[in-house]
Amino acid sequence: MSKLMIELTINGKKRKVETTASTRLLDLIRDDLHLTGTKEGCGKGECGACTVIMNGELVASCLVLALQADGAVITTIEGVGDDKCLDPVQEAFIETGAVQCGFCTPGMILAAKKLLEENPHPDEEEIKRGISGNLCRCTGYQKIFDAIRLAADRLSSRNGGRGEEDA
Amino acid sequence: MHQRTVPCQGYFAPQKIEDALEILSGCRGEIKVIAGGTDLLIQYYDRLYEVGTWLDLKNIKELKDIRINKNQMEIGAMVTHTQLEKSEDIKKYFPILSQAAADIGSPQIRNRGTIGGNIVNASPAGDLLAPLMAYDAQFKLLSTQGERIVPAEEFFIGPKKTILEQAQLLTGIILPLPFERTFGCWIKIGKRKALIISTITLALVAEMAEDNKTVKDVRTCLGSVAPTPIEVKEVREKMIGKNFSQLDFNQLGQIVEDKIFPIDDIRGTREYRKDVAKNIMINALEEIGSAWRSHK
Repeated sequence: MSKLMIELTINGKKRKVETTASTRLLDLIRDDLHLTGTKEGCGKGECGACTVIMNGELVASCLVLALQADGAVITTIEGVGDDKCLDPVQEAFIETGAVQCGFCTPGMILAAKKLLEENPHPDEEEIKRGISGNLCRCTGYQKIFDAIRLAADRLSSRNGGRGEEDA
Repeated sequence: MHQRTVPCQGYFAPQKIEDALEILSGCRGEIKVIAGGTDLLIQYYDRLYEVGTWLDLKNIKELKDIRINKNQMEIGAMVTHTQLEKSEDIKKYFPILSQAAADIGSPQIRNRGTIGGNIVNASPAGDLLAPLMAYDAQFKLLSTQGERIVPAEEFFIGPKKTILEQAQLLTGIILPLPFERTFGCWIKIGKRKALIISTITLALVAEMAEDNKTVKDVRTCLGSVAPTPIEVKEVREKMIGKNFSQLDFNQLGQIVEDKIFPIDDIRGTREYRKDVAKNIMINALEEIGSAWRSHK
């Protein structure tokens, strides 16, 4: 099979990777870049475990060809927070107990981050819709909703109390 | 973790439509056009296709635009469901197309999946198809031989079957801008809200005459009730020229129930779909009625 070279920016680093025309972005991330925080669940775009942010948009990396990511800017869960300081969304997931087996968590956190970026004060329906592409079979979602609300409150008070606009 | 490998030889991602058409017409053997990939790649990795070469449309900028030109809108084939959902122009002129796009899949799917892909994939359950037919859409098909414009209802010929030829590319969707006093209603029935293949969909678009009482035109289009998305044309003769407030909604619902020909499948039985079709037709007429009354 012929090999093709692509270049992409992943978690802020430029990487050149050799791939094939049938490789999924998910496999490139896990097997070639060894970023195994991105999970494979259903492989059909229905569970969201493989979610990454590509060019600013939430995508299911099992439904993207690696070649389609040539030139793209990608954030995986490894690019959220750092060793010293977790992202407020990650902190909130830990504090509220929104993590059980953890398999959905990387995708769930990326979906939650993206939701809060676009909508800093989501109501319950908006939270449900924001994470509707991510399945969790452990938590029953309630603690995930709690985590997202907590993260929303913290982020808005950090951003100079943007919530005051509503007052 | 199992890495799937499927034989595949090449990959093209041209920046110009002309180059894409050249590749399509010059390429012998299996070449597959890929847009968002949200349907195609599932089928591909299930090995329903053997793909020799990919033709990826992602770099063709003009296919990602929504343009208004005089009295029509042209939507590029690579416009995503997220774009359709959020576009102010689509919300204004074609609200039920925006609503149908918002009901597709999940954020992840809507960010990648495209209107062109939804059309060419031609699933009887494709959520944009009934709204497009209801708005009288035409599809622009290009090849190195030239351009062909076909009405949506002539494009679909069976489940996953269209008249698109191997060397043709769907590049745009042309929609006539609706007249004032046009009201639409979109209803999707499925087992859950997100990530569900529709059990049945209805797109009803009605235009009122200048007197704002009489129905001037109406299109009743449904998905998942036949091998292709269909219009129930018999509704037209019962509605056009009639005073909206004197319509018999029950009778119109019955016509829809009688004229569709769904099958039994895992998403619902024929009988269930027929019952639901009647009910959602009545609901849609009521919704259009209340929008019309509050607009008067």
